[in-house]
Parts: sequence; structure tokens; C-alpha cells
Amino acid sequence: MKALSSGRSEARTSLLRFFRSTEMTLLVVGAAGFAILVAGSHGSLLHGDAVRGILSYLTVPILIGLAQLVVLAVGQMNLSVGPLGGFLAVLIAALMADHGVPVLLAVVIALTLGTLIGAANGLLVVTTRINGFIVTLATMTILGGLQYRVVGTRTIDPGSGILKTFGTMSLLNVPVIFLIALAAAGLLAFFLRRVVTGRRLLASGGNPLAARLSGISNDRAIVVAHALSGLIIGVAAVLTVASAPGVNKSIGGDWLLPSFAAPIIGGAALTGGSVSVLGAVLAAFVIRLVDVARAQYSLDPSWVNFTVGAVVLGTVVITRIRETRQAKATRRRVDLGRTGITGDSSTAGSAS
Amino acid sequence: MNTTEQVGQPGTDRPPPGRPWTVRSHRLPPGSIQRLGLLAIIAVLVFAFGSARSSFYNQQLTVFPLLRDIATFTVVGLSQMAALSVGHMNLAVGRMAAFSAMFMGLAYQDWHLPLYPGLAVGLAAGAAIGSLTGWIISATGVNSFVVTLAMDFALLGLVSLVYSQFSTTAAFTTQPAGMDGLRTYSLADLCAGNVCGSPAIPQILLFTGLAMLVVGYLYARTRVGRELLLVGSNIRAARLSGIPDRRRVILAHGLSGTLAGLAGFMLAVTSGSFTAGIGSQFMIPSFLGPILGGTLLTGGVVSVVGTLLGTALVQVIRQGLTTLGVGLESLDVYLGVILLLTLSAGRIGSVVSHRRAVKTR
Amino acid sequence: MTDIGSDPILLADGLVKDFPGVRALNGATLRMSPGSVHALLGENGAGKSTLIKILTGLYQPDAGNLVVGGQPITLHSANDAAAAGIAVVHQERNLVPEFSVAENITLNRIPVRGVLVDRAEMRARARRCLDLLDLDLDLDAPVNRLSVAQAQLVEIARALSSENRVLLLDEPTSALTLQESDRLFELVRRLRDQGTAILLVSHKLEEVFAVCDTVTVLRDGVSVLEAAPLAEHSRDEVVTLMVGRSHQAASFEPHVVERDGPAALELDKVSTASGHRDISLDVRRGEIVGLYGLVGAGRTELAKALLGLDRVVSGEVRVHGQRARVRDVREALNRYRIGYVPENRKEEGLFLDQPLTMNIAVTVWNRIQRAFGYVPRARERKLVQEYTESLGIRASGPDQHAGLLSGGNQQKVSLAKWLAAKTEILIIDEPTVGIDVRAKSAFHQLIWQLAADGLAILLITSDLPEMVTLAERIVVMRDFQIAGSVPNDHDYERTSTAVIRLIHGSGSSNRKPYER
Repeated sequence: MKALSSGRSEARTSLLRFFRSTEMTLLVVGAAGFAILVAGSHGSLLHGDAVRGILSYLTVPILIGLAQLVVLAVGQMNLSVGPLGGFLAVLIAALMADHGVPVLLAVVIALTLGTLIGAANGLLVVTTRINGFIVTLATMTILGGLQYRVVGTRTIDPGSGILKTFGTMSLLNVPVIFLIALAAAGLLAFFLRRVVTGRRLLASGGNPLAARLSGISNDRAIVVAHALSGLIIGVAAVLTVASAPGVNKSIGGDWLLPSFAAPIIGGAALTGGSVSVLGAVLAAFVIRLVDVARAQYSLDPSWVNFTVGAVVLGTVVITRIRETRQAKATRRRVDLGRTGITGDSSTAGSAS
Repeated sequence: MNTTEQVGQPGTDRPPPGRPWTVRSHRLPPGSIQRLGLLAIIAVLVFAFGSARSSFYNQQLTVFPLLRDIATFTVVGLSQMAALSVGHMNLAVGRMAAFSAMFMGLAYQDWHLPLYPGLAVGLAAGAAIGSLTGWIISATGVNSFVVTLAMDFALLGLVSLVYSQFSTTAAFTTQPAGMDGLRTYSLADLCAGNVCGSPAIPQILLFTGLAMLVVGYLYARTRVGRELLLVGSNIRAARLSGIPDRRRVILAHGLSGTLAGLAGFMLAVTSGSFTAGIGSQFMIPSFLGPILGGTLLTGGVVSVVGTLLGTALVQVIRQGLTTLGVGLESLDVYLGVILLLTLSAGRIGSVVSHRRAVKTR
Repeated sequence: MTDIGSDPILLADGLVKDFPGVRALNGATLRMSPGSVHALLGENGAGKSTLIKILTGLYQPDAGNLVVGGQPITLHSANDAAAAGIAVVHQERNLVPEFSVAENITLNRIPVRGVLVDRAEMRARARRCLDLLDLDLDLDAPVNRLSVAQAQLVEIARALSSENRVLLLDEPTSALTLQESDRLFELVRRLRDQGTAILLVSHKLEEVFAVCDTVTVLRDGVSVLEAAPLAEHSRDEVVTLMVGRSHQAASFEPHVVERDGPAALELDKVSTASGHRDISLDVRRGEIVGLYGLVGAGRTELAKALLGLDRVVSGEVRVHGQRARVRDVREALNRYRIGYVPENRKEEGLFLDQPLTMNIAVTVWNRIQRAFGYVPRARERKLVQEYTESLGIRASGPDQHAGLLSGGNQQKVSLAKWLAAKTEILIIDEPTVGIDVRAKSAFHQLIWQLAADGLAILLITSDLPEMVTLAERIVVMRDFQIAGSVPNDHDYERTSTAVIRLIHGSGSSNRKPYER
């Protein structure tokens, strides 16, 4: 009986918590924004092609956001997301177009290589103890070079193979590649929530000292996070090749900023330990809406960047204000606790 | 230019403990070994590249553009160094350059200002946007990485919007008198009597020299500069020692913005027009120069000469590899690998010497 | 009830641990028996924390042996200690703030099913631990939503979550109410009766005497009392052992306190935003006033309020008789000539990666600067040298990094900058924590001399002998209020007894909050 009622109240408090969360705000903003855009377009935004377009262009932003999110979870950064994705994308395309490598093998190679390069980033960070920012800055340079080396000034079109078909396939008007991105998000959320390794990763990011005292290896967490980041970038690269008409040296060049924007707007802390997969996905959607609005009203593409920058700035400021308020509330609570102690000892004293 | 005589990495300086000093020590200042090492590497590379391809010594085709690039990117590096000095980052360094350059372009095209007043307008714009960034960081306490990243986004959009609004070709091409000269003039055009300078040294290097002098003087000799370093070294101790830490953070970012603006101007002079694309290639080099030169990411330690040398190293490798015929496609790969090796070696060295220092105590 | 003669479950023998500049342990011995509660006592800096960190695998001893359950053992990590059945509640909070209560409790042994976290098992296990403490916390609430006391209880629950042979409690009750402490000690007794060996480190002597069976006293890294039955020792005996005869107040020449005119620093019913209520005290020129209290009594917070880092909500602060409204440290320094030597010198007092010159000259630049903020280097060096010489700071030169100095010299550097700034009122917070004995007495001499030179000094320290050595008057703080004031006649027994009485509330010796 007690368990039942406490279960119900837990469900209620967690529901309450959700309503006050960043995710809820983003959901409302996203839904309202979408509704306004639909109304503004006189409903044409709800047509099959339009929906498919919105969703398929959402695929890569979600994935790169997740790739950044997983390293943010351990308090690291990965500046090499763009060049890694670009390198893997042109590699797949070149393997298929120039060397006749079968699709499946090319995909496996890309995913494996992505994971390995990510792990290498992590290993460099833990062995040299150089700041992850600088390490990934260096690997970013290297990977950008490798990408250019593979593709040069060409644009490779891997032809109309299965990958292409796959890239344009839809299920009930929802692009399959978008479903894959969602699946990746779901898996990552599950990994961070339920899988032991994922929990260790978050614990290490949240309080490295506590993690160490509990026998969790912070080094291992960093390597695993970077490797996962690489794997997710591998997926993004594969889906890019599948959906883009051709790949060249510019792929990945503009991924860096969006990769940070999605998780940070979604509520991730740079210090680690606190990330929200749902928040990042919703944030990617909201950013996408800015782009849709831009197209709809034929505005200058620059509005997108400007708006996103302003939104991120606004988000950090608001979050900060909220935190300060919370801290004040906590302090008040501590004060109450303190007077409680005083009360106790004085009553004990007077009783004697 | 002994900017880092005061500062250096912990552990590089291991004294015999337990003796009060009476005379000023005559040992090399800490960090100078690192800079001498950089200088030696640069010298060896220049010699190697020159031996392999004599065209590397060609004054007009190689040395002049190389020095011009070093001049510009050293200022970019100094801009980042200003943010690093308080333990922050400025990811928007390139876009701040674009923002300043935009004002310069507007000043020349629409307000018909002469060269230097226009430059001043642009630098003021850079200082303003940098200070605003610093203010947001110190007022909210949010990580400088996030704030400058968002600022980068916002400026990227804003600058492009302004260019498309005010110009037909997405560029301000009006050139005030004297700007073209800055691009092509070398010291050969500066004569004192019969003695003229070398035609290999671009005049624009004077801007860099001036920036280095001012920044170097600031950090080495003035109270404010030292307070910046102390804020970067330990902000809590700085506050408890009576340093106005918030104002110093704003100042550091203002300085970063101003220097970014100067770099934007130098790039515009080199390319001949003011475009929205100015500074888009600044971010990575802005970190390379200072970090290779011994500036710490964690703050508190800067080196102006080191930034010049670090930048020079990167540019010499780039130019040298190009001269050797290494295509653009492989350039970045080598550059990145060399960078990783240099950083790891430096890191291992400092860890080892620190361990030794701790052990002997 | 306890069998003290039985084989020890844990034996630490002859432990030695060196840190740069200080030997924290110098042959310490600890012997714990199953089914007994063991007290580990000692002054601050006696080596208790170091010993605990060695027992939990965080530090490796430089010499000495560890035997657990009859087996010699080396602990390389927290995992090794957990595997050996040693659990610990650390003094610092070690929770992952975003994680739930249940998860934090089971963090060191996450229950698994395949690769997944077994949430049902996790909750069940956590619930069992909380039930042991009779706690009804929401298992799914993230711990950053808990109060400080609740968080501390979660941490205690975590140490209970595994079947341990040895349980180490380092100041477990610092944030707990009496009721919560009672419940904890009830549980401690129950665990003891089940055969667990428990180590309790606590500043609160009444707690120790209420629940512990045996006691080890550490002084200067050595066990001066080893696993002795507590019943055979009185409280005074234990205190004397902790303090040691050698620490008896060193005698200084008394110096002149200026009694006429207004006090240099005067607080009149000051209340602050962080919770101080009606604090009144005064410090005169040439006087050292001690501010004593337990950790968390609000002494450092009071110092920070005087520097303008916290708001004074009511009451008046007067400096030399003039009302002072300090808005920031800069103003405290330049206008009111108040300096503060912080308790945590590495985090708040020094710039470790900067040379001595910068560390000391930071407060004088605004005085010696010329046009454009130019700092004349020769003048700066001369000033720095003057103070390094007069304080006897041992360094290789003005460019040596502060981080490479010994603890005692670091503390002198932290002090030197305020002397160089010509402060008239100096607040010195825990000046000799982690400093070896010889440097400590040199530092005492120095503080005494400063007062003799006419400075008004407010000395905050938890080191009672230090307090008795230096202070003319000892003001005792408890729970952000002044509990009382004790004139110091430099007789250690008498003064310390009076101070300790005040700390525990005047009638504390009659109070029996804990049942045996």
C-alpha cells in the first residue's frame, strides 16, 4: 500500500519535474513555432514533400549534436566532429565509387574507423593529459587534411546504389534516415540511463572524485565517450552519403557550431555529468525550424546563424539566472536546517 | 621583449631550496628554453626547406607573403592570448575580426573616412563587441567557451546580413588612400637616406610590431597586465587580494576583440577588400600560436614572443611544405601531426621536470 | 560486549607518509577489532585524514604495513579497499549531484543484469540501506535536491550498502541534527554487535565517549595512545594526550594593547546575509583576539562579510570608530586597511604558478604605479625583498613559483602581501594547518610580533593550543552566533576547558544525549 502510493507520488513528482524542465520548454517552443509556420504557409508545410524535407535535413544536426553530447557528458569537448564526419563521408563515397567496395563493407569500415579515431582522441587526452580541446583541435586539422586528400576538389557521387535508395526511402512519409537518427538518440538515451557503462560515464562527468572513490575509472570513461562520439559521427557520415547528391571537401565544414548548439540549448552542462538526449533532439528541431522559417519567408540565410547565436546566449543567461535563484533557495533551506540544529541543542541544554 | 620573464610553467624552474636570496638571480627566465627551442626548430626548418628548394628563399614570391601571413596571424594569436591570459577562450576571434572589418568597410565606403580614422572606428567596434562578450561572461558566470561560441554564431549572421544590406557585391571595395600601399610596400620603400630596408619584409609587419610592443608592455610592465595574469592564475585569490576580477575579465575580452579587429584590418589590406568571410580561417591558428609559444590554456602565463614564434613555426611549415610540392591535400595532415608531437613532447617534458621538482623536496 | 583482546580485523603498523614540506604520518599505528567501535582522535593536522586516506587506498604509505583479516594487503585504489571490505564515509561530500539517491547509494557496487543496471535490485538495496537508518527519502530524487544533512545521510547509507568488515566514519555528524546523530549511533551499535569494526573520527568528544569502546590518539603523525579501552580514560586525559605537554603555551613577552580611544575594528550586533545573528566583538591595536569554534560555526563567513564578500544586513561595523561599509576587498584594503589571510592558502591565498614577486606585490601595485599603470620593477623588487627578508621567507629568488615553497613559507607569502600593503587590521584564518611543528612556532612568533608592532589581529583557528598561545581573548562562535568570550591567562588547562564548555553549550558536561 505504501509502495503503491509512493510510486504514484513519485510518478507525479517526476511529471512535475518534466513540466518545469528545459525539454518541456523546447517542446512548447518547437510545437508553437511549427504551428505558426504551418499557419503562415497556409498548410503547405504539412504536405508530404515539405515534411520529408524538414525531417531529412534534421538527421545530421541530431546526430552531430549527440556526438558532442556524449563527450560533454564526461566534461570533454570534441572539436573534430566536422572533419571526422567529412573524412568518413568522402571515404565511403570514394571506396564505393573508385574502388568498387560493396556498400555494406564501406559502411562497416566507416563505423569502425570512426570509433577508432574517436578512441584515439580519448587515448591522447588521457595519456598526454593535454586538454581535450587542444587534442581535438589538432586531430581536427589532421582529419580535415585527410578529407581533402581523399576527395581533393572533386565531388564524388557514389552512384545510385542501395545506399542512395535507402537515403530517399520513407516510411509513412517519414524518411528512414531520420528514423535512424531517432533510433540512435533512443539508444544513446538508453545507454546513458540504463547501461552500467553509461552510468559510469555520467558519474565520472558529474563528480570525478566521487567516481574515483567508488572505483570508477575516469580515464576509461573519457576514452569510451570519445569512441562513442566517433561512432555516432560514423553514422552521420553514412547517412550524409546516403542522402546528399554527392560529397566533397566541404562536408562537415559547418558542423562544429551546431554540434554544440543542440546539446547546450538542450540543457547540457559543459562541466559534465548533466546532459539530456531528448533536449538535444528537440533543440536540433527548434534550430531546424529557424531554417524552415528562413526559407518560407525567403530571408537571408544569415538570419539562421544570428538567431541561433542569440538563442544560445539567451539560454545560457536564463539558465544562469535560474541556477542562482535555486542556489539562493537552497541556502535558505540550509539556514532553516541550521536554526533547527540550534533549536535542538538549546532545548537539550535547557532540559538538563 | 621580456614579457614572460615574470611568468612560466610551474616545474620548469627548480631552485635549490632553503636559501634567502640577496642578489638578483642571473639564470635564464623560465620559459625561455621553450622559446629558444622553437627558434631552433624554425631555423632548422628554414634551412632544410631552403636546401631542398632554393625558391624558398625567393624574396618576392615566398618570403614576403610568408612574413605577411606571420604578421597577420601573430596578431590573431595575440587576440586569443588576451583571452587565454585570464583562463578564458575566444572562439569568436574570427567573427570579431569580421565585425570590426565590417565597420572599417562601412567607414571607408559610406562615411568616406581616411585610412587611419577608419581603422580606429573598426578597432573601437572590436573593443566594444569584445567587452560585451566579457561582460556577459562575468555577469552570468557562464563558461567563456559557450558564450564566445554563441557570439560567433550571432556575429556570423549579423555580419553577413549587414554586408548583403549595404553592399551589392557582398564586399566593401572602396579603398582609402594608402591602403593599397600597405599591401605591397616592403621595407625597401622605407629609406633613411640611402639605406633602405629589405624588400622581403612587408611594411604591414610594423602593425604586428606595434601590437606586440603594446601587449608585451601591458603584461610585463603594468599593474593591469599583471592583474590580468593573476585573475587567470587563481581568480578566487585575485578577488581576495583586492583585484577587480570582473573588470579584468571584461578588459581581457575587450583587448581580444580589439586585436581581432586589427588582424581583420591586416587581412583586408592583404586581400584588398572587406568581406564577410574575413576571419573565417582564424580560429585554429589563433590557438596554435600562443599554445606552441608557451601560453597556458588554464591562464596566468602568456608569452608575446612565444606567440610570434609559434605562429612563425606553423606558417613556415605550411609555406615550406607548399614549396616542397606537398599538395594542399596533405598539408593539414602533416601540420596536425607535428602539432600533436610538439604539444605532447612539451607536456611530457614539463610533467617529468615537475615530478623531479616534487621528489627532491 | 566487546572483546578487545581478540585478533584485530585491521592492523596498520608504523605508517609513514610524507608530503612536500611536511611529514603527515610518522609511524602511526591503528588496531581495530571486530565488534568494536574505535575512536581516532587528534588535533587538526595530527594525521587523521591521511591515515583514513591510506586505509581507503587513496594514498600509498611511504613505509609501514597494513593487515586486514590477518592478511597483509596493499591498497592501490578505492576498489582495493572496497574489495577488502573497508567502507568509508569521507569528510567531503562525494556524491554525483545529478544521480538519484538510490544510484548514489549503490555507486560503488552497481547491481547489474547483463550490461544493464538492475534498477529493481538497485532500489531494493538502497531501500534496505535507508531502512537501516530509518530514513524515508525519495529514492529517485536527484541528490542535488537534498539538504546538506540529507546528503550526508545518503553518504552514510552508501557506506552501509555493502557487507563490510570495517566501516570508517570521518566526521559523520558534522551536518546532522541530534536526532539524526542518535539514529546513526544506534545503527553503529547494531553493526558493532553484528561484528563490524567501526572507526569514528569526530571533533565532538561527547559523541566519542558515548559510542566508542577503544581509542587511538594521534599527535604529529604518531600514535600516542594505541587502541586503549576508552572507559579507562577520562575526557581530560584524552584531551591532554591530543594536545601534548610539549604544546603547552609558549610564553611570549606580553605587549601593550592600546586601551584608549575607539577599537581598531568593532562589530556591533552585526547580522549577515549568510546567517550571522547579532555578532558583537572588538579588536584593539596591538591585540590578538581569537575567534574559536567548530568547523561550520561561521567564522570564515564572518571574515568574508567584513571584506564585503557577504552582505551585512543589520548592525554596524566600525573601523577606528568610523562606521565602515565595505563593498569589496579592494575597498577593505585601500580605504579601511583590512587584510585577510585565507584559511585555504592554496586555493584562496596564493597564485601557485606565479613567482614570489607577483604573489607579494599584488597589493602594492596601486601604490607604486606611475603613469599608464607602469610598475617600476626595481621598486617592486625592493619591496618584495624587504618583506621576504623580514619574514624570513626561504626561496631561491624572487622568481621562484609559490607552488614550490614549503607550507610554512607559503603561508608567510600569503601574509607578506598584506604587510606590504600596510594593513592595520589583519584577519588571519587557520594559519598553521598542514605546517610542521617548527615552522608553526616560527609563525606564532611572527604573529605575536605583528601585534607588538601595533596591528589589530583577529585570529581564526581550530587549533586550541595555538589559540591559547597567541590570543589575549578568545571569542567562541557557535552556529553563527557568539557563544561567549574567555579571557586568556595562557594557562592551557583552564582556558581550554572554558572554551570547550562554551562550544558544547554551558551545561554540556551534564547532558547525556547518547545512551551507551
